Amino acid sequence: MADIQLPHGTGAPSAKPFNPWPVVIFIILSILAVLFLAPTVGVLFSSIKTTKEIAFGRLWDFPTSVYWGNFADILSNPSVQGYFVNTLLITVPATVISITLGILNGYVFAKLPFRGSGILFLVIISGMFFPPQVILIPLFRLFNGLHLIDTLWSVIFIHIAMGIPICTLLMRNFFATVPNALREAAILEGASEWQVLTKIALPLSLPALAVLVTLQFTWIWNDFLWPLIFIQSDEKRTVMLGIVNLKGQYSVAWGVQGALSLLASLPTLIVFLFFQKYFIKGMTMGAVKG
Amino acid sequence: MAELVLNNIKKSFGDIEVIKGVDLKVSHGEFMVFVGPSGCGKSTMLRMISGLESVTEGSIHIDGADVTHEAPSKRQLAMVFQSYALFPHMTVEQNIGFGLKLAKLPKKEIEEKVAEVARVLKITDLLPRTPRQLSGGQRQRVAIGRSIIRHPKIFLFDEPLSNLDAALRVQMRLEILRLHTRLKTTMVYVTHDQVEAMTLADRIVVFNHGKIEQSGPPIELYNHPANIFVAGFIGAPAMNLIATTLSTDKQGTYIDLDGLRLPFNLKANAVDKMSVTFGIRSEHLEVCTNDSPDFQAQVEIIEDLGSESLLYLQTNFSTEPLTVRVSPENDYRTGQKIGIQVDKSKMHIFDTETGRNMS
Ligand SMILES: Nc1ncnc2c1ncn2[C@@H]1O[C@H](COP(=O)(O)OP(=O)(O)O)[C@@H](O)[C@H]1O
Ligand SMILES: [Mg+2]
Repeated sequence: MADIQLPHGTGAPSAKPFNPWPVVIFIILSILAVLFLAPTVGVLFSSIKTTKEIAFGRLWDFPTSVYWGNFADILSNPSVQGYFVNTLLITVPATVISITLGILNGYVFAKLPFRGSGILFLVIISGMFFPPQVILIPLFRLFNGLHLIDTLWSVIFIHIAMGIPICTLLMRNFFATVPNALREAAILEGASEWQVLTKIALPLSLPALAVLVTLQFTWIWNDFLWPLIFIQSDEKRTVMLGIVNLKGQYSVAWGVQGALSLLASLPTLIVFLFFQKYFIKGMTMGAVKG
Repeated sequence: MAELVLNNIKKSFGDIEVIKGVDLKVSHGEFMVFVGPSGCGKSTMLRMISGLESVTEGSIHIDGADVTHEAPSKRQLAMVFQSYALFPHMTVEQNIGFGLKLAKLPKKEIEEKVAEVARVLKITDLLPRTPRQLSGGQRQRVAIGRSIIRHPKIFLFDEPLSNLDAALRVQMRLEILRLHTRLKTTMVYVTHDQVEAMTLADRIVVFNHGKIEQSGPPIELYNHPANIFVAGFIGAPAMNLIATTLSTDKQGTYIDLDGLRLPFNLKANAVDKMSVTFGIRSEHLEVCTNDSPDFQAQVEIIEDLGSESLLYLQTNFSTEPLTVRVSPENDYRTGQKIGIQVDKSKMHIFDTETGRNMS
């Protein structure tokens, strides 16, 4: 890496040349951090202020007192509990199934290639490059024909399907780094292909799994588009639809929306914190080869 | 203990034939070493025996049973890989006990057997560690431990020592020999190192380009190489090989090295003026103390190896220098002219075209 030196006219040979890059990078990062954190802080502030305060334009004032009324409203609202249950009923099975399919696909592509498997892999991966808008109308008609509109199943199916390419890609690439000799050694010890996968390949791929679970869970939990298209009745709504929906019940419901937004982001935060340790464990285990 | 028979084994990857018809019988308890240059198909052969690689043509029999299409786990073999292939997320204890656990043995029994194997291999205090915390030699021991615990019928080794440094390699070589003496199990051992092959083998199989060049006990291969390839491959330093032509007259067959007439009694049919290669090992050339040497040579390089010295000599009849083994207590100098005597009973003549040993 080339050192960047400022031209300096003093000519003092012992003076260490001033390197501006750490400072520049620090400033850029600070600006970015503020930009990214601002909305979150806004939501946090709005959740602990009264609607009156917000309406008077005091959203960005540092809160002097905490108003818990928004949270109380949310937690006592029976539809909100339904939103959370619905979102969980979609997110957990869709995450588990898409990752399971990704694991099975990835293992076959990485360790058990067959004639044409390379092409098939590309076909599956190309699924990632379809923008959802393109398939929206045909899907709606399909689901309508199958009577899946306004069911949680519709959203579960679409998330499983949309998750397969990325799950397959990530797992295949990670399994490819597990040396073939490990699989062969296990097979000679009497392991079946399934046991090679569950006892050797998967334990060695925990970091990839942790990344995938976090990605999929967050993506599906936070999804707004698909439930918006396929869900119609209030008792089937997900949390993200619910946040927007609160607007209808109250005239200007910033405070309640902020409170629900905060609560809605807790599950993804928990998932992230829980799997974070596996990222690190995976990194220390990284060097598989002897 | 088991007998292994290979019948006309062939293997192709796509259009490329890698193994071109191998017939071989490995007897009960024999230590068989496959040796040959890199890429000649040794690993492929071993992997076909293990069942990890399918056989394109031919059949494999273990103890009389045809296992050509048996799953690897059904063949009751164990293999030690060059990379050791230890499971990085398991402790040494779990690694060694892995096969037994898959076979659903009671936990207590697994523990006892692992402890016994660890004791034999002197790795008891390594049991709680993971492979990352082990040195190369220790990993090697664990890999061997994992393979011996199930009492396989045949051990397969694929260049198990090539990742170790020289000193450790010699030590592990001895231990593998000891293991064989102790277990008396049939072993098939692959290496590209002919010294390893010579020291370990009951019988060596020399592979080249997917075919067996020669098989036999190490000394037989050393003393009676069947062809130029084996002559050049087995033995260090390599046999001196000199291209020349064969002549026949009333007194018999001979070669002429710049005026030196060396007569031969050949088994194979000799044709006058045919191209042949004359072979002689470095220990069968002797520096002449009297004044009637077979030929004169000039010392080009002296290699002192401690227990012996090697002289590299320039001669009129060979473009390559000739190697001569001499005692380490010598006072030769580079550039010195010396006379050399040939041990006439140890000479080889190879047909240059076919490579076959004619003597
Ligand atoms: N899976 C494979 N696909 C294609 N070619 C292979 C494969 N495995 C080995 N080969 C080729 O077969 C030849 C023999 O390889 P190998 O048995 O590994 O040689 P060795 O162990 O003697 O060094 C080599 O030319 C190698 O490139
Ligand atoms: Mg090899």
